[in-house]
Amino acid sequence: MPLETPQRIVAELASRGYNADREAVTLLAGASDPGRALAAALDSLPDDALKLSAAHVRTTLDRGVVPDPETDATSPDVRTDSPTDATSPDVRTDSPTDAPPKPAASGDGDPPVSDATPAQSSTTAGNGTAVETGGSAVGTRSPPPADILGDITGESTGTGEYDEFVKVFRDRYERLSSVLRGRVNHRPTSSLESSPGGEDAAIIGMVNDVRSTASGHWLVELEDTQGVFPCLVMKDKPIAELVDQLLMDEVIAVDGTLSGDGGILFVDSLHFPDVPRTHRPNTADRHVQAALISDVHVGSQEFMGEAWSRFADWLHSPGAESVEYLLIAGDMVEGVGVYPNQDEELSIVDIYEQYEAFSEHLKEVPGDMEIVMIPGNHDAVRLAEPQPGFTEELRDIMSAHDARISGNPSTVTVEGVDVLMYHGVSLDEVIAELPEDKASYDEPHKAMYQLLKKRHVAPQYGGHTRLAPEERDYLVIEDVPDVFHTGHVHKLGWGKYHNVLAINSGCWQEQTDFQKSVNISPDHAYAPILDLDTLNLTVRDFN
Amino acid sequence: MRPSDERYFERLESRLDEAFDVAREAKRRGGDPRPEVEIPVAKDMADRVENILGIEGVAERVRELEGEMSREEAALALVDDFVEGTVGDYDTDAGKIEGAVRTAVALLTEGVVAAPIEGIDRVEVNDNDDGTQFVSVYYAGPIRSAGGTAQALSVLVADYARALLGIDEYKARDIEVERYAEEVALYDSETGLQYTPKDKETKFIAENSPICLDGEATGQEEVSGFRDLERVDTNSPRGGMCLVLAEGIALKAPKIQRYTRNLDEVDWPWLQDLIDGTIGKDDGDEAEDAEDTEESEADAEGEAEDAPDDADDEPDGPPRVEPADKFLRDLIAGRPVFGHPSRPGGFRLRYGRARNHGFATAGVHPATMHVLDDFLATGTQIKTERPGKAGGVVPVDSIDGPTVKLANGDVRRIDDPAEALELRNGIVEILDVGEYLVNYGEFIENNHALPPASYVVEWWVQDLEHAGANLQALRDDPHVDLEDPSAEEALAWAEEFDAPLHPKYTPLWHDVSVEQVDALAAAASEGRFVEADGAALAPDTPTADEGDTLVLPRTDALCETLETLLVEHTQGEETVTVPDARPLVASLGLTDDLERTWSLDDLSERARSWPGDDGKAGGNAVEAIGEVAPFAVRERAPTRIGNRMGRPEKSEKREMSPAVHTLFPIGEAGGSQRDVSQAASYTASMRGKAGQISVQVARRECPDCTSRTFKARCPDCRTHTEAVYECHKCEVRAELDESGRALCPRCEGEAEPVQFAEIDLRSELDDALAAVGERPGVYDILKGVKGLTSEHKLPEPIEKGILRAKHGVSSFKDGTVRYDMTDLPVTSVRASELDVSVDQLRGLGYETDMDGDPLRHDDQLVELRVQDIVLSDGAAEHMLKTASFVDALLEQYYGLEPFYDVDDREDLVGELVFGMAPHTSAAVVGRVVGFTSAAVGYAHPYFHAAKRRNCFHPETNLWYEGKDGWEHGSIERFVEKYLDESTADTDDFGTLVSELDGEVRVPSVTENGEPVLKPVEAVSKHVAPDYLVEIETADGRSVTVTPDHEMLVWKAGTTRVRASELSEGDEILARQSVIDQPTDDPLAADGGTTSSEVVRVEIVRSDVDHTYCLTVADTHTVAVEGLLAGNCDGDEDCVMLLMDGLLNFSKSFLPDKRGGQMDAPLVMSSRIDPSEIDDEAHNVDIVDRYPREFYLASRELKDPEEVPIKIAEETLGTDEEYTGFRHTHDTSDIALGPDLSAYKTLGSMMDKMDAQLELARKLKAVDETDVAERVIEGHFLPDLIGNLRAFSRQETRCLDCGEKYRRMPLTGECRECGGRVNLTVHQGSVNKYMDTAIHVADEYDCRDYTKQRLEVLEQSLESVFENDKNKQSGIADFM
Repeated sequence: MPLETPQRIVAELASRGYNADREAVTLLAGASDPGRALAAALDSLPDDALKLSAAHVRTTLDRGVVPDPETDATSPDVRTDSPTDATSPDVRTDSPTDAPPKPAASGDGDPPVSDATPAQSSTTAGNGTAVETGGSAVGTRSPPPADILGDITGESTGTGEYDEFVKVFRDRYERLSSVLRGRVNHRPTSSLESSPGGEDAAIIGMVNDVRSTASGHWLVELEDTQGVFPCLVMKDKPIAELVDQLLMDEVIAVDGTLSGDGGILFVDSLHFPDVPRTHRPNTADRHVQAALISDVHVGSQEFMGEAWSRFADWLHSPGAESVEYLLIAGDMVEGVGVYPNQDEELSIVDIYEQYEAFSEHLKEVPGDMEIVMIPGNHDAVRLAEPQPGFTEELRDIMSAHDARISGNPSTVTVEGVDVLMYHGVSLDEVIAELPEDKASYDEPHKAMYQLLKKRHVAPQYGGHTRLAPEERDYLVIEDVPDVFHTGHVHKLGWGKYHNVLAINSGCWQEQTDFQKSVNISPDHAYAPILDLDTLNLTVRDFN
Repeated sequence: MRPSDERYFERLESRLDEAFDVAREAKRRGGDPRPEVEIPVAKDMADRVENILGIEGVAERVRELEGEMSREEAALALVDDFVEGTVGDYDTDAGKIEGAVRTAVALLTEGVVAAPIEGIDRVEVNDNDDGTQFVSVYYAGPIRSAGGTAQALSVLVADYARALLGIDEYKARDIEVERYAEEVALYDSETGLQYTPKDKETKFIAENSPICLDGEATGQEEVSGFRDLERVDTNSPRGGMCLVLAEGIALKAPKIQRYTRNLDEVDWPWLQDLIDGTIGKDDGDEAEDAEDTEESEADAEGEAEDAPDDADDEPDGPPRVEPADKFLRDLIAGRPVFGHPSRPGGFRLRYGRARNHGFATAGVHPATMHVLDDFLATGTQIKTERPGKAGGVVPVDSIDGPTVKLANGDVRRIDDPAEALELRNGIVEILDVGEYLVNYGEFIENNHALPPASYVVEWWVQDLEHAGANLQALRDDPHVDLEDPSAEEALAWAEEFDAPLHPKYTPLWHDVSVEQVDALAAAASEGRFVEADGAALAPDTPTADEGDTLVLPRTDALCETLETLLVEHTQGEETVTVPDARPLVASLGLTDDLERTWSLDDLSERARSWPGDDGKAGGNAVEAIGEVAPFAVRERAPTRIGNRMGRPEKSEKREMSPAVHTLFPIGEAGGSQRDVSQAASYTASMRGKAGQISVQVARRECPDCTSRTFKARCPDCRTHTEAVYECHKCEVRAELDESGRALCPRCEGEAEPVQFAEIDLRSELDDALAAVGERPGVYDILKGVKGLTSEHKLPEPIEKGILRAKHGVSSFKDGTVRYDMTDLPVTSVRASELDVSVDQLRGLGYETDMDGDPLRHDDQLVELRVQDIVLSDGAAEHMLKTASFVDALLEQYYGLEPFYDVDDREDLVGELVFGMAPHTSAAVVGRVVGFTSAAVGYAHPYFHAAKRRNCFHPETNLWYEGKDGWEHGSIERFVEKYLDESTADTDDFGTLVSELDGEVRVPSVTENGEPVLKPVEAVSKHVAPDYLVEIETADGRSVTVTPDHEMLVWKAGTTRVRASELSEGDEILARQSVIDQPTDDPLAADGGTTSSEVVRVEIVRSDVDHTYCLTVADTHTVAVEGLLAGNCDGDEDCVMLLMDGLLNFSKSFLPDKRGGQMDAPLVMSSRIDPSEIDDEAHNVDIVDRYPREFYLASRELKDPEEVPIKIAEETLGTDEEYTGFRHTHDTSDIALGPDLSAYKTLGSMMDKMDAQLELARKLKAVDETDVAERVIEGHFLPDLIGNLRAFSRQETRCLDCGEKYRRMPLTGECRECGGRVNLTVHQGSVNKYMDTAIHVADEYDCRDYTKQRLEVLEQSLESVFENDKNKQSGIADFM
């Protein structure tokens, strides 16, 4: 590994168009986490610089690398270990994905990475003390209401026409390509077609098709508003492994050389819209916390009513006084007709009674909290995304505590912190399509990283995720959020991706027969509590 | 064999010989692919085996061995012969082993299925890593039809041969072992296995098997680990191998062990571990399950049934069987329920066999058929509660008809079909649907404990005799009708002999409670007897002096009691009039003067608390009546059998789509109709010559003049031509080598006997017309085929097509003209019902009637000969046309005398036909004996069984579930949608039906090109299961459907083509079928409709439905029960006219693909050997009376084996084996009741569903809410959900060029042609059922759960399809 690292660093630099001193490379290779160090170094490099100098690297290293994402859950007051303990190796493996695209760092789990962890964790450790030092009176919360953006509720203008579908995809292309525009010099596919070939070219396109060729190379067909163009990724190039991460209908940029006859583009580099490494999250300017939960599933025989009550009771306790927000990312109730013979597994068969029961459970939480909810796939709204919030009838039932109801997805801004809430149906697909080390049910946050990287909550069309055509693509992540909150897969997992906190909250439903049959054990009755001022996360266990 | 039987067969065979002589001469003269008849005749199984394999000497050896040992042993003994070379002519070890293995499989499958030919691809000898050699057997999908035992034994045979030849065992590499495990698991999840071995088990078998099990790739999926292995050719699962390993070796280990023990050379000690279940931790259970399977669900049911008995110690109760509601599963819209499980008012079980009754049939009174709004007709299949799964309905009018309540207040039983038709409109409620006749053999077949019998006259007569009456004297007394005595007689007998009361006067006391009886007795004591009022009821009521008609004050409770009892009466405004009421009064413990002699307190505790069917104490008054009545009273109808309609009966010509008159390729020149005339004047370009077409045809050469042609006969010398193999690259001629392959001498590539040729179709057609002396005007249209699918691509002479077109018949893929009919058994017939004269019957050799009296009258019953068949009217008409065509062919084409010379259908009597069951390869010769108006094919049970493959029992019947836990119902649901769509233009629903027991969809568009979800239905479950057709299209999609399933093909409009007849290049409408996680909607119907070219049509083992087996541990249990269901389950067999088959069938036409030889008469049996047919037919009982012990045994729920009733099995191998089929019940005609089920005559799906729900409302035994619920659940919701889902993930399609896009192009327009692109799923197809569904849910008071699901869906639809800011206002907005 040590021998390899300098090479990789050089390759990585080259792939980004940079040169570097030998000394700079050595310095980087010697860093505790070369990947991150390199990224940081590049981020801090002036835009016009083409060569990375040793001096530059040194300053970067001295300044300290970017804060490490994990370790936030280690605050001493957590009653039980959360499933993904911060010191466990699986969290540590988050770091490599932090600096993509960077083939050198991924998949190897090299020692330098784990070495870096303790050192960096010091930057955030010791923050979770607010809870202990609490003790002030209960019921004095007065959170300012959340701002909501990108809510489809009441704005659904689609009538299911072909043109609307086209519009949605065009909107997606336009908005995501503008993110990529600065990185490559896009040439429309129509102009490429008439090009004589041989020269360098770049395309920003929506992935239309990915095939492997007979000789094992990858043929990625990219589409722009002019047409499609085939791009060949040679299997021996380091970027070839990025092809595995591609989903249909996401927007990417490629850079490369046109073939002699101009019929195909040989790809040298491939870019995702991604979250800029320089992203600095907003934070609250006071100590205030938000509970991020999802998948309550009231009405299911497996709904954990007692655990929920423990959670609600805790919210009333002095220790929770700064928890002023409750964000619920879908699946309030178990719903009806979600799968065949569901009625046999319902404790409340009537859908309205399910919402009434949910409302009763919601009343258990302090009335002075600010609550925001979006629907999920079990809720009684359309399944096609974007999903509007509930109907008037259901809103009337769930009037408890004057909860805010928004569509799925929505960007909810609390105390200046932008939380992108999305139920997470597309995670199933991301997990199914991508290699296990990029996304798995055990580490749902990694699948979320992919969505952040693609800047779209559900890129792939025609598969698992359903799409309702609307005026624009509500599923594009146009503005980088500070926190990305999903549910759906019933697994708890969190981590930071380019400083965006991705959190998949678990559920409040015990293992169902179906889950048992496919060997999924859900993470239930955990309440992730987010410090809005530091974006540190504490997971509370109410089992 | 009796001399008369011998004469019969000789007669058949001499006619057969006559036909052969003519056919041989014709073939010698004509331009057929081969100059001889291509269907060999097999007199017995040995012949069939030899013919099917084409290995000479096998038949002789088999016959020698057959007498000495079992078939399995014979298969092993033959190995010695193959190894020594005394049988077969093989040079290589691999060849010898291959011959032995194929022979073994053929032997074990009795030479009727294609498994030995198509299921075994080849045998190879390969090298082990240690330098030794091993044997690989390559299995293919069709091995499935061999069944587990034959599959497993084939491995043993290979091993034995290997041992004899001194080849070493297979030493699997570790990765290969792992691969087996992964592959079997993958195959199981992809297609499903009947038995899923644990990984450990699979690995254990793989490690120990001395033979390498290998095979062809059958699936699309690929293994993810263990790929690209050196010694495994494919990364896909090898279906045949998986089957042999799992369903063969793993499942049948005990059976194989039996044979390994007898062989010194082979030793499979590891089998013991497999049997003991020591492989893997919980294999024990699995193995047990596997073994138990045979014992079937019937056992499980049997146990359940015993339960009440065991519980007898506590509160006593009547003997009852547990209700079973499995048959209600997957209820289909438009196919009504006739009775919920075991519910009063449903069919009453009566035991007996009518003469048109056999395996898997149920006798129903024709009046019942009419009362059920004609939904039942002769041959309609029903799904039933017990004893089997399904059965074909036959009309029997010697049992009770339905009891109905009329609008005028009359409650009466209808025993006359004419009366039923007359009264049908006045029926307000069907209180009882009448009796349901099931024969004893059915219970044997299904191994189902005997449910308690209804008390009917058969038992009463024997009771009377038992009580000491002189029955003979009573029978001889002309004034006594034992079946229908007067009340007076009935009471007198009961008193005199202390016998139970006659059933005619025994109401259903067990259905009313003790309180109701008490109330009834009280009411009766307040009534009075009057003179029978002619207006009252039942005209035949005897008018006794003091009057027998009881008049009671009316109360609703009284009416209800009488209705439940099924006492005929009239409900007036004030009074209730019960005619002929003396026995009723006596039963109620009233004196003749209507004085009540008892009160509730007089009853014993036992009588008062005798539980009803719901277990409620006092719910069953039969014991109470027993105490108060002066005579014994029996339970009139203790067993009710719930059922519902399955599939409609079938009788129709088989036609390819579009129809084919001649198997001559014309490419696209003939348009979508494949019109040969059009093609003959087609010009490809401005300068082209008219009729010049380029098609792929045979490359042949005349041995005399060496001129090249594509025809089977040299146009100049009239010599039969020979195939010329040429390498298409090097254009070098190659010769066939020994292995039947021709390799290019230059490039080693495969040389082929086909070419692209320019054919001058115009002159071909003109020549053909001239040759047969016809003018183009004699036919409306002459249709050819687009291309030939056979290996040699040898076209049929156009002349044949001209004559077919002229005579209005069309050809099947093998050149024959076929007619499909549902099988029904019949064992004796009357000339009168067959529309033939008694003289004709005598002319056929029928000399005496059943009782041995000389045959004189039209209405004498004669016992049907085993190979005589009754044609439906439609079949007769079609055969008549075929006969005319054959005669014309002989005269005008072959230049011979006509053979049939028929004018009307009468002339067909005595002519021979071929009968064939689907997916078999052996035809059975049958003789036409008469005609029936019922839309079915009646024949002797042995005839039907002889056509059937008998090695493999149709577990399929029960493979209810598709993939991912979807019930196969969901497929049926899909089908209904399909049917619905097609209703618009055609209503031949029967033809669309083909059972797919897995998750299968096919695409379609409506008339106007609007895409909708088009799923597949099921054909006969036990027919289809052996093979499915996997169709792959150019864009990589694939669907798997039953071969009979009709696919929608785009040929300037949608047309339907059987999947098995699809050929590469067809444009089928395709749709994405993405199967989602099972958590999601039950249906994963998806995608848009587009047409897509078929690139691969492959017959694969059907497995889709196996998943069910996996869900239910005791699959095999089900399997055995399935046997019954399978048999009746609508075997739609086909008939062909003998001479047509002999003249026109050619193997050369058969598609060159796996499974292509199924459904083709590769061999024909000229006589049926009862021992060689499917066992199910041996379980037909052949007595004319069931003994009293049977009744008593049924009261104890005994197993059927415990009652000695003679079944056909007992006469096997004796002189009597072809005769002596007695029956217990007669029926006046085998075609009573409606000719066609209402399901076929009603128009749209909605009409059918309305009729279904309306009938549910009328039937007392049916819970209409449940029916509505199931229809919504099974039909509307999946449709709505599926379509809504499909909408949001749909493909798009260019309206101009047809190009499809997975996603809408960003350009908006077609990237190919710039044309308009549009959606494939529109709002209209998504919400078409919404309003109806909501309406039905309201109307039939469905559960809130169901209503709310609909509400949520409706909101979803609005949300997707309506603009929030511009809502369409409804009328409500203005009110």
